[in-house]
Amino acid sequence: MSLTLALVAIAAAGAAMSASQAPAKAPAAKPAAAAPAAKAAPGAHLPGYNPDRNAYFGDLHVHTGLSFDAYIFNVRATPDDAYAFAKGGAIGHAAGFSIRNSGGPLDFTAVTDHSEYMGAMREANDPKNPLNKLPIVQGLFSPDPRKIGEAFTKMVQGYEKGTLPKGFSAPDVAGRAWTEVQQAAARHNDPGRFTTFVAYEYTSAPQGRNLHRNVIFRTTKVPQLPYTALVSNDPETLWKTMDAWRAKGIDVLSISHNANGSDGLMYEPTRRDGSPMDRAYAELRNRNEPLTEITQIKGTSEVHPSLAPNDEWANFEIMERYIGSNRPVTHFHGSYVREALKDGILMREKVGFNPFKMGFIGSSDTHNAAPGSVEERNYFSKVGRSDGTPVQRGSTPPGGARTWPADTPDSAHAATPYQAWGASGLAGVWAEENSRESIFAALRRKETFATSGPRIRLRFFASYDYPDDLAHRTNLVKEAYAKGVPMGGDLKAPTQGKGTGKAPKFLIWGVRDPNSGYLQRAQVVKGWVENGVAKEQVFDVACSDKLALNTTTWRCPDNHATVDLTTCEPERFKGDVELRTLWTDPTFKPTQRAFYYLRVLENPSCRWSTWDAIRNGTPPNPTLAKTIMERAWSSPIWYEPKA
Amino acid sequence: MSFLRRIAREPLTHFLLIGALLFGGLTVARSLRRPVVRLEAQDLNQLASYWEIQMQRPPNKAELAGIIRDRIDEELLAREALRLGLDKDDMIIRRRLAQKMSFATEDTAQVTAPSEADLRAYYARTADRYAAPARVAFQQVFFSGDRPHGGAEKAAAQALHRAEEGGRADPTGDPFLFPLAYDDVSLQDLLRDYGSAFVKELETAPIGTWQGPVLSPYGWHIVKVTARRAPPSTAFESVRDQVRDAWLADRRAEANAAFLRDLRKRYRVVVAGVPDD
Repeated sequence: MSLTLALVAIAAAGAAMSASQAPAKAPAAKPAAAAPAAKAAPGAHLPGYNPDRNAYFGDLHVHTGLSFDAYIFNVRATPDDAYAFAKGGAIGHAAGFSIRNSGGPLDFTAVTDHSEYMGAMREANDPKNPLNKLPIVQGLFSPDPRKIGEAFTKMVQGYEKGTLPKGFSAPDVAGRAWTEVQQAAARHNDPGRFTTFVAYEYTSAPQGRNLHRNVIFRTTKVPQLPYTALVSNDPETLWKTMDAWRAKGIDVLSISHNANGSDGLMYEPTRRDGSPMDRAYAELRNRNEPLTEITQIKGTSEVHPSLAPNDEWANFEIMERYIGSNRPVTHFHGSYVREALKDGILMREKVGFNPFKMGFIGSSDTHNAAPGSVEERNYFSKVGRSDGTPVQRGSTPPGGARTWPADTPDSAHAATPYQAWGASGLAGVWAEENSRESIFAALRRKETFATSGPRIRLRFFASYDYPDDLAHRTNLVKEAYAKGVPMGGDLKAPTQGKGTGKAPKFLIWGVRDPNSGYLQRAQVVKGWVENGVAKEQVFDVACSDKLALNTTTWRCPDNHATVDLTTCEPERFKGDVELRTLWTDPTFKPTQRAFYYLRVLENPSCRWSTWDAIRNGTPPNPTLAKTIMERAWSSPIWYEPKA
Repeated sequence: MSFLRRIAREPLTHFLLIGALLFGGLTVARSLRRPVVRLEAQDLNQLASYWEIQMQRPPNKAELAGIIRDRIDEELLAREALRLGLDKDDMIIRRRLAQKMSFATEDTAQVTAPSEADLRAYYARTADRYAAPARVAFQQVFFSGDRPHGGAEKAAAQALHRAEEGGRADPTGDPFLFPLAYDDVSLQDLLRDYGSAFVKELETAPIGTWQGPVLSPYGWHIVKVTARRAPPSTAFESVRDQVRDAWLADRRAEANAAFLRDLRKRYRVVVAGVPDD
């Protein structure tokens, strides 16, 4: 029985079947289908290879001047620039200054330009190109931020109404851009040091409601052109196309993002055409879309405060507007990931399949070709000349004033959405080595985590059989893999005999980012089905500063960590380097379907808008949060009772 | 008759007449020269479409009149402000103008393509920029910074002492989320993940013995370096494109600096009453 539990199901590259193996013994999971012609001898590993897997950090949502909107924002940076930036280099910002990450190079990056009108703006801005003479092009490329806003809206509305010139999506235009994307990825992919993926964004937004997906290819084998939302804005058609690609040996997965801007559409209970979901639909969706981007600059989609009144930390970088316009979101159900996970297990219970089984990553969605630019103290937002200055993003008073006018609008009323955006979104994966094959396999098996920017490292495992002192053993990770399942996995109900009825134990481990704050608490978010209703609870499971966890309320006492708002210096000697524990679910019922994910919180620290204000010598915008609690989320582990 | 003729010949009359003509002519000329604020039909269409974009419906007649009035008012105020010289001594306007000018002139100078010899010479001067980071292999034992009262440093020192005494078993410490043994890792990656003090220790520690304790952002470590590889030199051929980019960037920076130098020659700069040349 324990052998069964030791096995980890790894979805074989897109095939509906899955292969099982014990990662500690044979960790180099090679998906069965679409394996590349391996050049290296079997068993040869890259530098840094670790059978217990390393945490790698990256950004899987990056736009360059090839995206129509980025180009209108005056961004002229190329995919090459984006990869140079990801590797720690400095590049130019559209507003004329130089930008660079302070946290060092990333391990992997995918440039994901919008496939719709990819490369068209750059060509249209060339006086020698016929596109340059089109009426819509006149005035489209102004450096004036107000005109930029107008040009952007003009393009987005033209896109929605389908009135944009055919020339913008001509195959030769898209083809040149797509070739550039592939060549840049090839130039910068450096196994063992830095991984790139050929990728793009499928930009579907029916009636402006966001259904965007990033589409990531495993190897250099990619379709001649991306499948775009101009063909169909129903994501189901994208997944079917991905299936067809895979049949031709092109391995691929998609990652949804900004559910928060979908106004209830991202996790609607029916298929896009209104017909009921079925098992085939759920399988199609899960096979192609194992992940969602739970946080990015345009807000965090984990949970909305109105959906989780008992989660005191739910109000984190919430953005309540449509994507690309100022329309307010009114349907929160269907727009947030935790609710969708609950809906998913409830559907599994009631109709026998779960269409919402996803792991988590974060990414920036930078339109400045600046992967990983989500550092609070080094934040320049994400839409080029539109929000390149503190005044534009609402963090310093307008017109050079030293104080804030009494009628300063809050984020619901501000003329632009930028002040409600967060410096958030980084992807973490657990992979044996820094290569396309290894990282893609981690994405596929959902052994991933998301952070709000800091490189917080998270481990999360579950098993019925962990020894009670596991968290104190030095070889704990090897044991955790051997006897349990990691984040993103399925915890099967124990079979007859030993273990039946035992509650699962969770190994919880978070380690701080040396360039960010100390950790305050680790929490397990549990969702389960009870008497036909999906419920949720947030359990604090490890407290910092040797504080005693209250196991009645499942809350840590406040560690009273503070920040000096005149300097952004955190209070010293508060919080921990790491939080590590073995936690047993006290509410476990073997018959109840459930999911569990880990959330680790840092001590409070200054929000980017406060950093901007301090540098400007003015008070922070009174309508904005002055501090935030940076955090990281693991992918869930699902518990499935016996049939 | 003769009276009229006399008057007509009178110089005063000529004076008055010429004066009147001049006055009339000037008035006409001035009115013709009255600056015009002109809004063309296409401007109106654009204003209306901006409005529509924001409000999601076309403006009605009264709203349209308001949009036009606002636009004209803005233009009138801006022109009058310019006439009165309100743009002078305004930091924001000055910065904006300087920014526009520097955008307009930046990178306009024609930079000729570098020759092979130029690039090789440039590479020879800057080769260290392209060197790959050195790599090391090492083992480590970790003592968590969360141990109370500086316990981690003490425990690390004790473990090191025991190892130096010649204990046969490798020393043990706290669980650590990072690898406890690295076979081949670049100092650059270690700098990012562990900070500079740690990397310095690994750069200088003698090979094959336990060393430390060394502080990282996570706590205290003792380390045993087992191998060290000097940075491999990078062949010019493999970084030719980067060298070329750097060469061009250098030339452009030079050209931009030269533009400012030339500009300065066309002005006399006086700072606090003292010529600044």
